[in-house]
Amino acid sequence: MSAAATAQGPAQSRRGTTFTAATLLLPILLINAIGFMLPVANLAVISVSEIRSSGAMTGGWSIAKWTTVATDPFYWELLANTVRTSLIVTILTLVVSYPIALCLHRMNGAWKSILLVLVISPLLLSSVVRTYGWIAILSDRGLVNSALAALGAQEPFRLMFNLTGVMIGLTEILMPYMILALLAGFGRLDPRVEEAAATLGAPPYRVFWRVVLPLSLPGVALGSLLTFVLAISSFITPKLLGGGRVFLLATEVYDQAIVTLDWPLAATLSIIVLVVFGLALAVYTRILRQIG
Amino acid sequence: MDERPISRILIWLASASFLFLLAPVLIVIPLSFSGDVFMSFPPSSWSLRWYASIGQHPKMIDAFFFSLKLAGAVTVVNLLIAVPAAYALVRLAPPGAATLMSVLTAPLLLPTIVLALAMLIVAARAGLLATPQGLFLAHLVVTLPYALRIISTALATVPIAVEEAAATLGATPLTVFRRVTLPLIIPGLVAAGALSFLVSFDEVVLSLFMSGPRLSTLPVEMYHHVESRADPLVAAISVLLVLFTLFIVIVVDRSLGLARTFVK
Amino acid sequence: MPAEDHVSPVTKQNADETAATDRFLSLQALTKRYGDTAAVDAVDLDVRKGEFLAMLGPSGCGKTTTLRMIAGLVPTTAGQIVVAGRDLTNVPPYQRDMGLVFQSYALFPHMSVAANVAFGLEMRGMAKADIRARVAEALQLVRLTGYEDRRPGQLSGGQQQRVALARALVIRPLILLLDEPLSNLDAKLREEMRNEIRDIQRRLGTTALFVTHDQDEALTMADRVVVMNKGRIEQTGTPEDLYERPRTAFVAAFVGRTNRFPGTGAGEVVHVGGVTMRCARPVSGPVEVMIRPHRIHLDGAGERRADDNHAAGTIIRTTYAGNVVQYDVQAGDAVFNVEQSTDATGALVSVGTAVTLSWSVANTLVFEAAP
Repeated sequence: MSAAATAQGPAQSRRGTTFTAATLLLPILLINAIGFMLPVANLAVISVSEIRSSGAMTGGWSIAKWTTVATDPFYWELLANTVRTSLIVTILTLVVSYPIALCLHRMNGAWKSILLVLVISPLLLSSVVRTYGWIAILSDRGLVNSALAALGAQEPFRLMFNLTGVMIGLTEILMPYMILALLAGFGRLDPRVEEAAATLGAPPYRVFWRVVLPLSLPGVALGSLLTFVLAISSFITPKLLGGGRVFLLATEVYDQAIVTLDWPLAATLSIIVLVVFGLALAVYTRILRQIG
Repeated sequence: MDERPISRILIWLASASFLFLLAPVLIVIPLSFSGDVFMSFPPSSWSLRWYASIGQHPKMIDAFFFSLKLAGAVTVVNLLIAVPAAYALVRLAPPGAATLMSVLTAPLLLPTIVLALAMLIVAARAGLLATPQGLFLAHLVVTLPYALRIISTALATVPIAVEEAAATLGATPLTVFRRVTLPLIIPGLVAAGALSFLVSFDEVVLSLFMSGPRLSTLPVEMYHHVESRADPLVAAISVLLVLFTLFIVIVVDRSLGLARTFVK
Repeated sequence: MPAEDHVSPVTKQNADETAATDRFLSLQALTKRYGDTAAVDAVDLDVRKGEFLAMLGPSGCGKTTTLRMIAGLVPTTAGQIVVAGRDLTNVPPYQRDMGLVFQSYALFPHMSVAANVAFGLEMRGMAKADIRARVAEALQLVRLTGYEDRRPGQLSGGQQQRVALARALVIRPLILLLDEPLSNLDAKLREEMRNEIRDIQRRLGTTALFVTHDQDEALTMADRVVVMNKGRIEQTGTPEDLYERPRTAFVAAFVGRTNRFPGTGAGEVVHVGGVTMRCARPVSGPVEVMIRPHRIHLDGAGERRADDNHAAGTIIRTTYAGNVVQYDVQAGDAVFNVEQSTDATGALVSVGTAVTLSWSVANTLVFEAAP
């Protein structure tokens, strides 16, 4: 065999490997292209498509939906409402999740595993089921109002069909994601660092403020990003607990797409959701860089 | 690690949060035994009537069996597609493997509502709305990234030397995969399969956009029921679903545990 | 395991057979390039049948890459691998009949010990009964009879090592390849396994190629040692050749401990920091001088040994290490490290003592200084 022919061997085998890899990847790439890339790209096209009053597309182009969204104060209000609600939900989720995550981080053995399973288990249930559970708690004849009535309240508190109910439900639904992200962030929290701070004379609350909290910030940032993104795009809970009285971007996308059948408008709104998502990602990256 | 006392305040705070987290799931259980016509808590009387009434909702039952078939098919096809793909990305490492990985897991990152609308529009044009094929494709798109990630991680933990050892002993690449690699990634396959099944079975946003009066999944039927009527029927179904989910989790845990001792 | 497959008595042979025996494994200009860097650079090497050859070198010298190319796990960039007259360069690993023992052992964790050892035979389509007999034989060879049903995870490091050895040997490989097989064992077990591997290899007459970065391992186990550096072979020879007659400064420094001095050659003599010494061959210009610490004699000031090189100096540090004492001796600008065996009656020479160092011309190794 000549040296030249031998030298070709590995080059050929690398090309062969790449070919095999391409073959093995073909099905997943096809599904990604047809089921993901194409539909998402199509969204941008639809948002600038012209439609007749009947809802049928003419095949022409129009920026009417973008003009509508930009000029109608309803949509500005919708955007502000969505971002505000998502931010509040994110903060609430962080506040109720942090103690669980810290507790889990400090626990050992069987109890830790059991509680971890309990934290993850709600994720295995449809959000419909969990929202339904909240209806049973928050409705006029639900757990809270029955308890208040038993204590002598005359009128039931309106805990549902308003933003309060939506925020309570969303907070609970998004907790597992936040807890898992926080736990991942606690990974770099070495107990010896806390002990070192304690031996240097810091009382527990100062150890928390000066050591534990700063070290857990990357986890806080990640969990907040995740929660915020899930909050802006969630609509099952806002729909069911809002009872048609709470308007958010995601519920509007659903209504326009399924009820009004105004796809260009739905597409335009969903692209706005994407833009908010992109901004959140940018803010997160910046914060992460600052933390360090 | 030595025992470290957890402060009392933290335990109280965490317990309260835990109660909050589990409350909606826990309340469904007593509610399902309600004897009332409408939803109220606590119920004024107890009965099994809502469990019995599931039988009078053929749409729910049809939707359950469709969801079951859908999740089963999605799981099987998912593994058949994800295993070769993960193998190609991890073991054959073609140029741009890292980029491909992020492209292929991107559907996980995208807000579901955006993806759902995008799919609705394309599926409507292709005549796939409210068809098993349309729902199947939609579920495949969102479950594949999970499976790909889990199986890739599992593959990455199999030492290459073990595969090389098999090759030097005379095993062809296909035999190496069948006799060495595959048995060693079984825990990953079980986890990927279980997750795909549960994600598909519980998926509601995509299904809501992609289904119609002719065909819908159980979560979608439940959503419509909760939206239109406030009765304890969904509580009874939910309890059965919790038991069903628990069953799957236990089966998975068992087989994973078995696989673990098997590997050791 | 019967040995007749492996050893052919070296009596009357025609030229072809001699070639096949002396050049049982032949690497010809074997090269592996990753981008612009050559991990293995045009290596030529012949290995005799039944020989135990060690490849020694620092990490990254290309020894493991060479071994993996022989096993077929790394594609070659250029050159050829010929075994028993057959060009294996482009043969896939599963058709090469090489027995490879990995540094990590690479046992199949999901199979029993017996199944691990049987795997290679199964791949060869051997009958079940024959497999069982061969597996039993191989396990007996590595003293693991009775461990058939254990899983690798239930074995100690040394036992896993022996399973890996049995698994590689049971297929009666053309060549047994060992990639740092002892590096994961503790010191005592390592010594034991050295002897065991050597004994088994001798008994079976298997040709073996052993990769290691540990010079002790290479010197004590191998018939011949190949020292590699930066993808090239520095020297091939018996352990004694390498130690006593190193051909390059790298080999002299890598194999065994040595004093290293920069010097200037002037014909028959070399100047090292104010000390002048004779050397075996004429040299000129910048050179590197090496003298093994235990080849230097330490005597009282003024006591000279005939014909030797000498240096007068003062002891600046004494290190007691049980079987030996090491002295650092300042002589001129140079610090000599001198090693002496201890004995129960001998006293240590204390710091500050004036001494005379002497060493023979033959032990004064001189090399061209690296450019």
